[in-house]
Amino acid sequence: MQARYASALPSPAGVGFPPGPGWFIGVGMDRTVPESEPLAPTAASRELVPLLSGIAAGDRSALAALYERTSAKLYGVCIRVLPSEDDAQEVLQDVFLTVWRKAAMYDPAKASPITWLAVMARNKSIDRLRARSLGTNPLDAAANVADDSPTAFEVIEQNEERARLTSCLDQLDPQHSAMIRAAFLDGATYPELAQRQAVPLGTMKSWIRRGLSRLRSCLEQPVTS
Amino acid sequence: MSPDDRDQLAAEFALGALSGPELAQARALAASDPRFRAEIARWSGRLSPLLEEVASVEPPAALWSGIERSLTGPAASGANVIQLRRRVGLWRGIAGGAMALAASLALVLVTRPPPAAPPAIAPVTVEAPAPMVAMLDDDAHDMKLVASWNPAQRRLMVAAASDIRPGPDHAHELWMIPADGKPRSLGTMPGPKMRATLDLPMASQLREGVTLALSVEPIGGSPTGLPTGPVVASGKLERA
Repeated sequence: MQARYASALPSPAGVGFPPGPGWFIGVGMDRTVPESEPLAPTAASRELVPLLSGIAAGDRSALAALYERTSAKLYGVCIRVLPSEDDAQEVLQDVFLTVWRKAAMYDPAKASPITWLAVMARNKSIDRLRARSLGTNPLDAAANVADDSPTAFEVIEQNEERARLTSCLDQLDPQHSAMIRAAFLDGATYPELAQRQAVPLGTMKSWIRRGLSRLRSCLEQPVTS
Repeated sequence: MSPDDRDQLAAEFALGALSGPELAQARALAASDPRFRAEIARWSGRLSPLLEEVASVEPPAALWSGIERSLTGPAASGANVIQLRRRVGLWRGIAGGAMALAASLALVLVTRPPPAAPPAIAPVTVEAPAPMVAMLDDDAHDMKLVASWNPAQRRLMVAAASDIRPGPDHAHELWMIPADGKPRSLGTMPGPKMRATLDLPMASQLREGVTLALSVEPIGGSPTGLPTGPVVASGKLERA
């Protein structure tokens, strides 16, 4: 308990790293590695933790270094969701300004830095997309969204996590898993997915609901070797 | 709505498939129901490994300079004031009912110490360090505090702009995280407001860009001298 909470604030490097060899295997950090291949353990993602501590203490060069290492991955996340490059760029800018203000809230016990950043980029992009479709001011919409908080997700990132998710998705009806991917990664809503697949809205909802329910059962099964 | 329906809605919200009234309903629940938020968090955690599948795309080179320009820092003070006013306006709009605090911030702007009258003989004037402010919040917008720091008098004032009462067994402790990254306690919040005069060594570290953070601690404050509970709000000191 102590160790976990002590890491809620930036601490000298080395303190508060979650145990286990895999936690720092992040999202595709190295731009030369094909995205589909699991990344080899690298110091890169672990190095991001002290950068976040530096940012919390007001160090601009730490923010510049973080940008250097993560902006391509995060821009990829934004541009996948948002059709407009201008919007994607504004959201990416917003992500880094949020990090500048909120780095103290990053908790290494909950997620690797790159997962924290990628989830933030994805959530902010979805917010922007929904605000665009409603014609409302993105700022108003953002104020209503509770899930871009750094504490709003809990995952100890490991390559196994992704392997497990992929294997569980593979056990679903291929159509269901494809729709789950499209909703999460492209930001497509029920009506958009229904239109895309030319099925009634109710059918699309029941596909995804069934898919999510099976996915949860699969992920909650104890791992057997 | 049954608990199962709620969990399903949380899953659909985390997935991002909702639109229209269902989305509005989920947002309202997320803003008011911690259990619903926790379920969203669980689903977000389950699905987040999918983000590894996304291909990297190099952003335009000019983007970084835009970010750098937006960082608050030692820019011209006029620009800072405008930026702060804008932010105060935004914050006021979000926080609602925090007008008095916003007004006290405006006061900080107005009551900036005027430049010292030029001494009769010595042509060198020492400019008083500028007063600073920080907005402490979380991204869910349910914790909000404002801090003002007057380096000349070494006076720190922190006031809550939302209901931030900790549970009966807990206290909120305020920390500063200066350049060395090591949190230093500024004491526990006695209530929704705190006023303190800092000693010189502490005061000298409380500079622009330093993060102020609020953590949840046992009654009486952290037993270790470092934060032991979750950080519930944070913000950076900026020139008023």
